[in-house]
Amino acid sequence: MSESPIGRDTPQVNARAKVTGRAQYAGDIQLPGMLHAKVLRSPHPHARIRRIDTRAARALPGVKAVLTGADAPDALWGVHHKERRILAREVVRFAGEEVVAVAATSDEIARDALELVTIDYEPLPALFTPEAALAEGATGIHPGRNNVAHEIAFERGSVEAGFAQADLIHEATYTTHAQYPGYLEPMATVAQVDGHGRLQVWASTQSVFLARMRLAAALELPVSRIRVMQTTTGGGFGGKIVEDANSLIAALLALKTGQPVRLVNNRLEDFLGACSSLPERLTLKLGMTREGRIVAKEVTILADCGAYCGLTNEVMHVSAMRSDNMHRLENVRSHAVLSYTHTPPHGAFRGFGGTQMLFALNSHIDTMAEKLGLDPVAIHRLNAIQAGDTSIHGWEVGSTGLMECLDQCTEAIHWAEKRGRRDQAGRRRRGVGLAAAMHVSGNRTIGNWDGSTVVVKLNEDGRALVHSGECDMGQGAMTMLSQVIAHELTLPIEHIQVVPPDTDTSPFAIGTLASRVTMSGGHAAILAARKAKAQLLALAAELSGHAEETLTLIDGAVRLRDADNGEIVADLATLARQHIWRHGGEGLQVSATWDPQTRMHDDDLYGNIASAYSFAAQAVEVEVDTETGRVEVVESFVSDDCGKAFNPLAIHGQTNGATVQAIGWALYEQLQVEEGRIMNGNFADYTLATADAVPMLASGIVESNDPKGPYGAKGASETAILPGAAAIANAVHDAVGVRITDLPITPEKVLAALRAKEDADHA
Amino acid sequence: MRDFDFLEPASAAEASRMLLDEPEESRLIAGGTALMLGMRQRMLSPRRLISLGRLEALRGIDFDAKEGLRIGALTRHAELAADPAVQTHYPMLASMAARVANPQVRNQGTLGGNLCYADPATDPPGCLMALDAQVVIQGPDGERRLTIEAFLVDYYTTALEPGELITEIRLPPPAEGDRGHYARHLRTAAEHRPLVNLAAWVRQRGHGCEAARLVVGASTVVPTRVPQAEAYLMAHPPSEATVDATAELIASGITPLSDARGSAAYRREMVRVIARRSLAHLFALPLE
Repeated sequence: MSESPIGRDTPQVNARAKVTGRAQYAGDIQLPGMLHAKVLRSPHPHARIRRIDTRAARALPGVKAVLTGADAPDALWGVHHKERRILAREVVRFAGEEVVAVAATSDEIARDALELVTIDYEPLPALFTPEAALAEGATGIHPGRNNVAHEIAFERGSVEAGFAQADLIHEATYTTHAQYPGYLEPMATVAQVDGHGRLQVWASTQSVFLARMRLAAALELPVSRIRVMQTTTGGGFGGKIVEDANSLIAALLALKTGQPVRLVNNRLEDFLGACSSLPERLTLKLGMTREGRIVAKEVTILADCGAYCGLTNEVMHVSAMRSDNMHRLENVRSHAVLSYTHTPPHGAFRGFGGTQMLFALNSHIDTMAEKLGLDPVAIHRLNAIQAGDTSIHGWEVGSTGLMECLDQCTEAIHWAEKRGRRDQAGRRRRGVGLAAAMHVSGNRTIGNWDGSTVVVKLNEDGRALVHSGECDMGQGAMTMLSQVIAHELTLPIEHIQVVPPDTDTSPFAIGTLASRVTMSGGHAAILAARKAKAQLLALAAELSGHAEETLTLIDGAVRLRDADNGEIVADLATLARQHIWRHGGEGLQVSATWDPQTRMHDDDLYGNIASAYSFAAQAVEVEVDTETGRVEVVESFVSDDCGKAFNPLAIHGQTNGATVQAIGWALYEQLQVEEGRIMNGNFADYTLATADAVPMLASGIVESNDPKGPYGAKGASETAILPGAAAIANAVHDAVGVRITDLPITPEKVLAALRAKEDADHA
Repeated sequence: MRDFDFLEPASAAEASRMLLDEPEESRLIAGGTALMLGMRQRMLSPRRLISLGRLEALRGIDFDAKEGLRIGALTRHAELAADPAVQTHYPMLASMAARVANPQVRNQGTLGGNLCYADPATDPPGCLMALDAQVVIQGPDGERRLTIEAFLVDYYTTALEPGELITEIRLPPPAEGDRGHYARHLRTAAEHRPLVNLAAWVRQRGHGCEAARLVVGASTVVPTRVPQAEAYLMAHPPSEATVDATAELIASGITPLSDARGSAAYRREMVRVIARRSLAHLFALPLE
């Protein structure tokens, strides 16, 4: 009897294809007559385009199209504000903005053609910081508007009254920097117009339907004239939702040339074309009682979205309010402002605004714990929201494993023995730090619905074909869906085939974001499989004459419920064929939709936007070299409350990957932007954590079995990235007594802080 | 990358002639680790690549107690690190070669290629300078030898004349009392290029140093010896105070680079720290 794959370590169903090099990525696609595209980007952060001369480029043999803003549709694209053109027209607003696109018979000719384009720019004064952009009299970066892209302000309870009860009030400002998504596969698209004039797009994307919607709007085409197919996607981390111009440019070139066009970013182009995470300056003021209870919380955020705001409105929204739901709070006030600047745009990134605020909040709790003579773990416990609570913003917390996460990671790191070692001599000092986090599993704010649909077809051999529009970007959607269907139909997982998302054949789906796919897609898959199962049992009853209630599905076949010998009444292949014959040729095919019973927030941001909320805690040990300022993470343990780990292997993979990305953000990665230009758009100078730059990673799972999760599961792809930076900063403080509030924690900053501390100690 | 002709000379002399045929359009290729990156980014677009792959004379490592060490220019970093003679007689060199860049580069990049590229943020040149190495150069007019000091001229610039190539690297034989320590410091654990490196070599006699070669690399345009520090070290018996003072002299004796990877002040400070630690290690003093 084959065992259910639920709860078992299950290798990714597409892993073999990837490691053997057989998986097809967008850049691998070869079509007859396919052209290669290249994009010329603005070298100026802000300039007027006086004239573009493309004659020499167009005259180059092999060049099939040289497009400028004049050739692109008038439509503007963007998530909240329609403000961006496929190719810039008249004005460029950031260094890296797409100005000219070329399609040629080879990549080399396309590159040659770019070198033949001359553009006469009139450089204009640029606004590089939110302070400059928001200053009185600053020029609007977009016509007819000031530079506030978005603003959020709310107060619940009375912050003044809360602070009046506080025994300790602490205020500090934290700055967080932009992180490049750093996926292995840069943005890539192949587009062609088929014989019927329909646009076919193969893309590395997190959402085929959002991609199609955006293509339709930006190209001024009916949605039905476009088909988007997801190719194997080598990571997205939020960067491949809807904010890059790659697929728009490829599609525009395909429409203009009538030939297939391939546009694959090289790494430098990807650094320039992709959105990095939203840099924010957060001022946090907390009031606590002497026991550590938070009685008032005031948050002020100034965020810099760059030249185009994309999804950053939503990102800042998360920073402004999500962390409030972790705690039992009564008095909170938040004011957040998003500013345009003449810098490369920022956008969605794993954690989606949570990392920024949780760096501030966890650093703050650590600081206040010390002032109050408390263990920060005690403060996290004392304030933690509990299952059954409704948070201050209306979030209904059905489950939380935060307490167990705190237990697990503090035990693993030997918190009690290691915290506060004051007897250390020598130049290298060790310390431990901890942080806690909360995340959503789904998000109703995307369109006031958050559902998903799964279609299951049973083939004549009794194996299942599964259609879902939710994208697997490497996180494991295909494996998750396979596990669910295999479990429900009692089939071996090898008998399940998940079809890659295709807007022509897949049911509609929002796509892979907000840690929603296991929640919504998983539920839909359960419903679809159970519908199929019911039809199978009914058909078996009809064929065999047994009463339906005496039948059940075991091990891929319908059997008598009470039979001890497991005699088969009908196998699935037989039933699948019988279904076809008995339904005039219609095979067994079911569709099921699951939409979470969540509530969109009101104008005051009160609502319950996700069906479940996941939690995590992380404890790290660091070693600080007091002479070089180098910080190394020597041990890390992340404990993730994912509700129910129905694939522990995948959960640990997500957790470890998130941990590395958090370590990179905290210690290693830093975009160097000078006068609005990215100076280090390559992996030699933008240093992602490599295998030798991280410790042996350890992670644990807490199963809080959420009542609303599929089999109790919650999202598990983002939560683990949230606590890392603060845990490291807190560990640095524990080791050497300096508090770094400005990410990344560079050796220079640590040394400067150590010197300042030394001076203060001797003063 | 633009198209190019791929030439495979059978001797160093032929390679030299080929280089001279079209000097502006030709590049030598050995391991290609740096050249390929430059070509893919179109920073370099040579029309002719002259491969040294068939030049067996440029391979191999030979040690002779009288002549010292001969390292063929095509020796890969990993081969240098693993060579028993190098490990026995020049442990500092083997240790350096085992740590250069990352495994991919060590398995593919060559010592000769590394020297010719003259990238400031690398390891072999400074280590070789401390070991008093010379490069053997083949050119249209025959062979000549240069010290590393004379060979490295500036950022990405060597003393190679048109038509010249390195065929081998020579190190003098080691003597009784020779000690060396090679340190490379990465700004963070995620970087693969050193911020600072320090090659310290001394010939000990009794309690003192009869000779010393102290070379700072990666934070200077080319690896730089610090004669005042060497002189101080030779004049004072090894002690914590000597180490401190020598480290200060090293740090103050260089002109540090200042760039995105580190300011001049920060680099100078790191030179001092790393020098102090290296010298303490060299003399087995309890600083480290």
